[in-house]
Amino acid sequence: MNCVELQQSLLEVEDGGSAEQRAHLKSCTECSTLLAELELITSSARELCAAADPSPRVWNSIEIALRQEGLIRPQRPNRSLIPSSGSRWSVARWLVPAAALLLLSVGLYIRQHSQPVQVASNVVRPANPEVVSDAAVAGLNDDDLLQEVSDQGPALRAQYADNLKSANEFIQDAKNEVAANPNDEDARRSLAEAYQQKAMLFELAIDRSLQ
Amino acid sequence: MSGRMVRVAAIEVVAIGAMTVATLTAQSRKEYHYNVGPKAVVSVNNPYGAISVKPSSGNTVNIIAVLRSDKVEVDNGQNGNHIEIQSHLLAGADVDSGRVDYEITVPADASVALHSSTGPLHAEKLHGDVTLEGAGATVDVRDISDAHVHVKTLNGPVTLTNVQDGHVEVDSLSGDVTLDRVTGPLVQVVSTSGRINYNGDFGSSGEYRLTSHSGDIEATVPENTSVDVSARSVRGEVHDDVPLQPKTHSWFPTEGGRAFIGTMGRASASSTVVLRSFSGKIQLRKRTANAK
Repeated sequence: MNCVELQQSLLEVEDGGSAEQRAHLKSCTECSTLLAELELITSSARELCAAADPSPRVWNSIEIALRQEGLIRPQRPNRSLIPSSGSRWSVARWLVPAAALLLLSVGLYIRQHSQPVQVASNVVRPANPEVVSDAAVAGLNDDDLLQEVSDQGPALRAQYADNLKSANEFIQDAKNEVAANPNDEDARRSLAEAYQQKAMLFELAIDRSLQ
Repeated sequence: MSGRMVRVAAIEVVAIGAMTVATLTAQSRKEYHYNVGPKAVVSVNNPYGAISVKPSSGNTVNIIAVLRSDKVEVDNGQNGNHIEIQSHLLAGADVDSGRVDYEITVPADASVALHSSTGPLHAEKLHGDVTLEGAGATVDVRDISDAHVHVKTLNGPVTLTNVQDGHVEVDSLSGDVTLDRVTGPLVQVVSTSGRINYNGDFGSSGEYRLTSHSGDIEATVPENTSVDVSARSVRGEVHDDVPLQPKTHSWFPTEGGRAFIGTMGRASASSTVVLRSFSGKIQLRKRTANAK
């Protein structure tokens, strides 16, 4: 069996594979590494699905990993108005994963709260007392975003600060609404829309930073 | 007038003249022309300045760029049927000196993607997809048919006029959004704090969803409109002055003044309209005879 044949029959390796497959994996570092990586992805995905509610530690770990990889950087002093292309992309490096994390958190949050619940219609439940900030949910730091845009002037910072505050209020209200009316599909859509508004704010900040 | 005043006035005139000459000297106009096939794609990224797109008569993309200074360049290129234009800011460029104003004509079936932080952005009489993005840009889209129209702004106001059979998605954080005679299978507007105004008949079988957090939502419809409509504001007021046949089921409490749900006109041929706000006021009103 060669590498192509092995990779075409990867699905069958799940239960240990045939003797032929095992022999090839023993002799081929490339295929055995590929298989190990696929298994890691599969097991990680299972863990992700099984997680009822990722703790803030999970998001902190992601943030730490991103920082170690250089994807999230501490605030840089004295950036010029027209940064070099290298520094421009370094800005995007943390904003892009931050926006991605935000969207990921949307999916996880809505998934957690989208299971239909048997309740009588027209019964208003009290708002969810558990208030989780986005920083805790997505590893985001709104201050970092504002620091980036503030380099382009206090007026712009104020503009983004206002919109960020509004977007966060939108998200919180939408979360409360989902908690109060868990069977309301429109409420869940509103929550997704609220997160998308915040994600858009990050996108626009990226655009500003790249100019 | 004293001699001193005359001298001062003369110096001012000379100074203003010199500044004008310097500005005119620095400002430059460039033109680019490309031949394209059907369904071309034209994307323009212009950090500061206006972009206006209108249909051309032939299979050409014609670009007129007015550069405010020599601190900005226009990078342009063609890759097959894709035309890409980029305003390239040089060192020291700012919102004034980095400004470029574009007037572009494209074949009517071309798709355009326009991006400018300051705008304004304008597109008209096209039937290809239109994507417009700009933080503070005023966005004006009109006379578009059978196309996707996607708009994103931070606080720039958005106006869509006469968009037919569109797949319309507008997102604005705090800009006001006005839709006048906009119909299609999907029309979706989300604004956190901006107002949303819809004026039209909601088409015949589309899904319309207007959502705000704190901005007011107002829909004005002609008397013969057929829609299934649900409206709810969690903390704001909800008003309607159209006759609605009530629905029996809803997921949310339809307490007076906060929500309504029902059918207007013929239920069999109606669009679905969802108006949703958290603290904004929602109004559904009938267009008066002498109104536009």
